Amino acid sequence: MKFRAFGVLVAGIALSLAASPPARAHHSFGVEYDVNKPVSLTGTITSIEWTNPHCFIYIDVKDKDGKVTNWKFEGFPPSVLYRSGWRRDVTVKVGDEITMTGWQSRVGGPWGHSREVTLKDGRKFYFGPPPGTGDGGSNAPGASPAAPPAPPAPPAPSN
Amino acid sequence: MKNSFVIAVLAAALVFSSAATAQEKKDDASAKIPRMPDGHPDMTGVWQGGSNRIGTWEEANVDGGFVPGNVPITPFAIKGAQPPPPYQDWAQKKVQESYARRGVDEPMVRCLPPGVPRTTLMGLFPMQIVQTPKMVVMLFEVFHEFRLIPIDGKHPDDVDPSYMGDSVGHWEGDTLVVDVTGFNDKTWLSGVGTFHSEKLHVVEKFTRKDMNTIVYEDTVEDPVVFTGPWTRHGTIMLRPGTRLQEYECVENNDDLQRYNEMLKDESVFRRK
Repeated sequence: MKFRAFGVLVAGIALSLAASPPARAHHSFGVEYDVNKPVSLTGTITSIEWTNPHCFIYIDVKDKDGKVTNWKFEGFPPSVLYRSGWRRDVTVKVGDEITMTGWQSRVGGPWGHSREVTLKDGRKFYFGPPPGTGDGGSNAPGASPAAPPAPPAPPAPSN
Repeated sequence: MKNSFVIAVLAAALVFSSAATAQEKKDDASAKIPRMPDGHPDMTGVWQGGSNRIGTWEEANVDGGFVPGNVPITPFAIKGAQPPPPYQDWAQKKVQESYARRGVDEPMVRCLPPGVPRTTLMGLFPMQIVQTPKMVVMLFEVFHEFRLIPIDGKHPDDVDPSYMGDSVGHWEGDTLVVDVTGFNDKTWLSGVGTFHSEKLHVVEKFTRKDMNTIVYEDTVEDPVVFTGPWTRHGTIMLRPGTRLQEYECVENNDDLQRYNEMLKDESVFRRK
């Protein structure tokens, strides 16, 4: 009983080696973000940080009363985004309208972990990993995450 | 009596024939792998650890790598669950506590390198193998890690403990066996909280089974925290055309600041 959770943990470690999804790197989802707080917000990009160990996209989101809040979303590092077809200042740019899907911070506020970005033309891109696939997620490690449907792969850049 | 002898001979012939067919198939795959002039398998190339999917990086990770996709799998994929790490009771409690704290003590969030053996199967980032007859070099995109593995070398007597440890290799047939010692105790072995002591000793086996696949095995020993050796298996897949890029962790590591904020009240994130 005492070690039931540990059993889940070690099973997760074991599964993480046997299953094909790659391990997340750098840090736990579950310390900062809450899988029970999914968010989907449409807004205009005000800033992009194309940086390690994580990229960030900031968007201005207007509520029903017209009040604007600037949200910050964390995603993959640049090299991971590059390999999936993203190009800095090409795939998305400051001023673009996007819909960001992810999970909010545990402590609330306009800050979240990003999973998917939908462009105005309907194209979808992953910007971050699902929760629970790696270390310390809200799901048991190794469990299948509840993730949005897989979007098509981003097209190769034209230049 | 005579008949049973004939049946036995026929049965034996059938068994040998099946074995021969399987052996031929195996030989067929290993015959096609690139080899060095000295005859050893040549693992030069860019690889993805912790994956069993065949194809380029883009093909194998078309869904981000996290969602099951319709991607061909290597015939050498590891089946079944791996054994859990054999922690001693006191050490198991420590791992459990780290799990309850959702890995807030993760060394990597402080931009410390994941080290050996954790990096080898870390599939989000590629690794590159550069091979010569006397040295195998492994370059990892993540954290700019590298490993120098002299063939038939010896560990130095005065090794200073490090994240990656000190590696020496030798060939056993088509398998590169790497012995690693000289670790510090600042890394995790695998998932959340899988700590170890400076007595860590890792023996890794890399066997290129076909064009696409290295079968990997590591045996982890640590008499301070384990009750016995821990052996794991995985596959490392060739990723033609992939180039290693940069991962400079300290550039914009705002997670560290946020973790420190979260640590002011652990009840916010601690598992119930």
